[in-house]
Amino acid sequence: MPSVRMTQITALVLRAVVSGHQYGFDIMEACGMPSGTVYPALRRLEKAGLLGSGWENEAKAHAAGRPRRRTYHLTGKGRRELAAAEAKLEEMRQLLGQFGSEPKKA
Amino acid sequence: MLIKSWIRSIAILVPLEYRRDWIEEWEAELASASHKKLRHAVGALPDAWYLCREGWTMEGLIRDARMALKGLVRRPVFTAIAGLTLAIGIGANTAIFSVVDGVLLNPLPYPESEELVSANHVAPALNLFLVPHSEGTYLHYSEHFRSLESLAIFGEETINLITDGDPQRLRAARVSQPIFEVLGVPPMLGRGFAEGEDELGAEPVAVLSYGLWRQTFGGDASILGRLVEMSGVQRRVIGVMPEGFEIPDEVSVWIPLEIDRADPEMGSLGLIGLGRLAPDATIAMAQAEMRDLMFQLSDENPDDFGRALIEQAGLAPDVKPLKELYVEEVKQTLWILLGTVGFVLLIACANVANLFLVRAEGRQREQALKTALGANRADIMRQYLSESVLLAAASGALGLFLAYLGVKGLLAAAPVTVPRSEEIGIDGTVLLFTATISLASGLLFGIFPALASAGRDLSKTLKDGGKSSTSGRDRHRVRSVLVVAQVALALVLLVGSGLMARSFWALSNVEPGFDSSDRLTFRIALPEPEWPEAEGVLQFQRQFLERLGAIAGVQNAALISAVPLVKFKTASPMESEENPVPEGGLGPLVDRRTVSPGAFAALGIDLVEGRDFTWGDSEEGIRNLIVSQTLARTFWPEAGSVVGRRIRQQGDTTAYWNVIGVAEDVHFERLTEENGPLAYFPAVNLGPSSPAVTRSVAVVLHTGADPLGFVGAAREALREVGPRLPMVEPRTLESIERDALSATSFTVVLLGIASAIALVLGMVGIYGVISFVVSRRSQEIGVRMALGAPAVTVLRSVVGQGMKMTGVGIVVGLLGAWGVSNVIVSLLYDVSGTDPLTYVTTALVLALVALIAAWIPARRASKIDPVEALRYE
Repeated sequence: MPSVRMTQITALVLRAVVSGHQYGFDIMEACGMPSGTVYPALRRLEKAGLLGSGWENEAKAHAAGRPRRRTYHLTGKGRRELAAAEAKLEEMRQLLGQFGSEPKKA
Repeated sequence: MLIKSWIRSIAILVPLEYRRDWIEEWEAELASASHKKLRHAVGALPDAWYLCREGWTMEGLIRDARMALKGLVRRPVFTAIAGLTLAIGIGANTAIFSVVDGVLLNPLPYPESEELVSANHVAPALNLFLVPHSEGTYLHYSEHFRSLESLAIFGEETINLITDGDPQRLRAARVSQPIFEVLGVPPMLGRGFAEGEDELGAEPVAVLSYGLWRQTFGGDASILGRLVEMSGVQRRVIGVMPEGFEIPDEVSVWIPLEIDRADPEMGSLGLIGLGRLAPDATIAMAQAEMRDLMFQLSDENPDDFGRALIEQAGLAPDVKPLKELYVEEVKQTLWILLGTVGFVLLIACANVANLFLVRAEGRQREQALKTALGANRADIMRQYLSESVLLAAASGALGLFLAYLGVKGLLAAAPVTVPRSEEIGIDGTVLLFTATISLASGLLFGIFPALASAGRDLSKTLKDGGKSSTSGRDRHRVRSVLVVAQVALALVLLVGSGLMARSFWALSNVEPGFDSSDRLTFRIALPEPEWPEAEGVLQFQRQFLERLGAIAGVQNAALISAVPLVKFKTASPMESEENPVPEGGLGPLVDRRTVSPGAFAALGIDLVEGRDFTWGDSEEGIRNLIVSQTLARTFWPEAGSVVGRRIRQQGDTTAYWNVIGVAEDVHFERLTEENGPLAYFPAVNLGPSSPAVTRSVAVVLHTGADPLGFVGAAREALREVGPRLPMVEPRTLESIERDALSATSFTVVLLGIASAIALVLGMVGIYGVISFVVSRRSQEIGVRMALGAPAVTVLRSVVGQGMKMTGVGIVVGLLGAWGVSNVIVSLLYDVSGTDPLTYVTTALVLALVALIAAWIPARRASKIDPVEALRYE
């Protein structure tokens, strides 16, 4: 399975999915990015196996009076990679924090 | 609604297997979005584009290729015909391109070869396009030139090499000292020439070529420092050049010039100059500087190199890339050949495009079905293009193989004079070229059926069983255009080869002025150290000719400085007694040959007035010469008889020469050239005159039977009078004459082959289209015949359709041929580039061929059984 380079956008999309947004447009709104940016990222993540997708229950959609929507969810691999990326981010933050605590020059 | 159709239209970009889901997803999202729907919908485009690009993955390409391969394999005959047609086109192009690449495009095999220039002169007013240097001009230029880092000169000569084995006759170069530095190639063994070694009185030295060193001296490094006898001079071998270093061509030994620096020879301009540009200097700068230097030289030497002479000759410096010195003569022929095979490839593409179009007819249902299953135009085009590109790639590989064989054959058949032929081969550039033209032709012939099928209303096709009449007519138009293009291209080639054939015919009918049948010729050279005196040379010549004349079957034996049609130009200005050239002027340039008595009879040249030389004409104090008819006309246009008139070298104040005879004009330089004035001097003249002694001569034997049968006897005769003299290049005069025709005949043959291929392909094209039309129209024809139309009417109608296309093609082709005729003019002889006879004849030939191609299917049509044809419905 091809791997994916973790960027700001992919990390944001993964976070949005983890925090419960499952439809494409919901993810888009959660990220605060335009659809033309979010969708290709979704495709990349799905191709890399970090995201999985499916269709919501048709009856449920009908009941709500709308066509069924595509849903996205995190795979095990997605979870691991997101965790790794966040750990790295945390490390970075701490490193930056050390710099930040140094006394500024007058 | 607007949003929905937007999504549907950009869905075309999305690969088929995702398309349905993609549309559903976007439509559902947009339906559930509460606001900014339009803005969100815009994002579908980058998404679709992303998926489209993803579709072009390696797997996707492989899948396309596999599908294409299936399609091709399923129709082996179609694939074989189309593939072979293309392979011939691509192969021909690759072959010719590899020659062009090797000869014209590859850099010379010297370090920083782009800095190397030929620095010589031209004299357009005298029709001379290479006027090289004398020792004097060379010293002047090389001393002052600043835009050239270095300058060297070389002349060619032949020497007798005496070793333990047989004496050998070798091509040698007389060079100025820095020749190897200019070219940037140091000797492989030993050293090059040292400063001062090219001066008069320096110790005689020599540098050997790799080939000579290996073959004659067994590759023995101890040759360095040894003395070797060359043309009677003991020369010390100082170096051996690396393998492949040959400048000038096929030279075996380099020996230094003997320049008298105190009083250099100024007037005899026979040494070719080559130089290396200084850093930051350009050819234009060198040219400008050389011009200034030339005038400066003229001011310093008003007697030998006066301004008036420069003006009359139109003398001007000519600095150009060194490569051009070599390839000038073949350059144009090669580009024309490349253009020709380019045409052949275009015709082949048109043919294959037609084949594909015909095949596409049979696949209408298959495509309609695919479309119904969701395939779009792009998919179908992609399928067509992948088939055509795959076919082109396979044909390219086959073509490359054909070219590899072809180039070998081509070089074997080519006149020996293709320069730099060792550079010709299939290298990276050639491979790239082949790959490019294969891909380009694949796209070119693939685009027609792709466009034709994409532009069709497929639902209609499904409905009427694949026989949609409207779309048929559209595609028929495409095919007709292709046929017209084929006919037009083929005609341009036919006209070209027709013109070349007429030139060849005219050339072979040129009256050369001499008789080449049953004549043997070879060269000998008497080294000056062994025959220092003119008397000795004269005695040798008499003795040798007597021996040769005594051979049974030899009718005449004589000597001449160079036989006709062999490169040998020694023109110098002359003046007649009546009409001396004014101070600073330039008399007519007269080419010259020195001959022994009997030379005119031996060469079959008629004397139109006066008498031949006798040995008495060589005596001291006697100055007799024989002139050509053109010379007589040039100097004494009014005179009836010119015997007894007097003429001399311009500026030679010692004496005039008396005309004792007039010989008919002979094409000495080349068959295509106008005869210039020519003077014959005795091969030896014992007086203090010039020319006095000719040491290097051609022997001509007029024999009763097969001339080559006399080589042994002639060698025997030579051994008796000069045991250490090699016999050089024994060959018949006929073979020399044939070689003179060979450049033209070579072009004729290649153009002939190309146009024959074009003609056949064009015929196949017409045949294919007419056949197809007939099969389409079989119902209609059947109905017409059922209603009583006679077979002749049907025949005429079908043939007429074919001839209409041919007619348009011929008109376009004639215009095209007329348009490009100026390209070929320089290769033509005695025929105009717009020769009406050639144009009309070739057009008729093409029309006839087209008629046959159309008639065959038409006849089939006229035999259609109406009942059968109608039953099919």
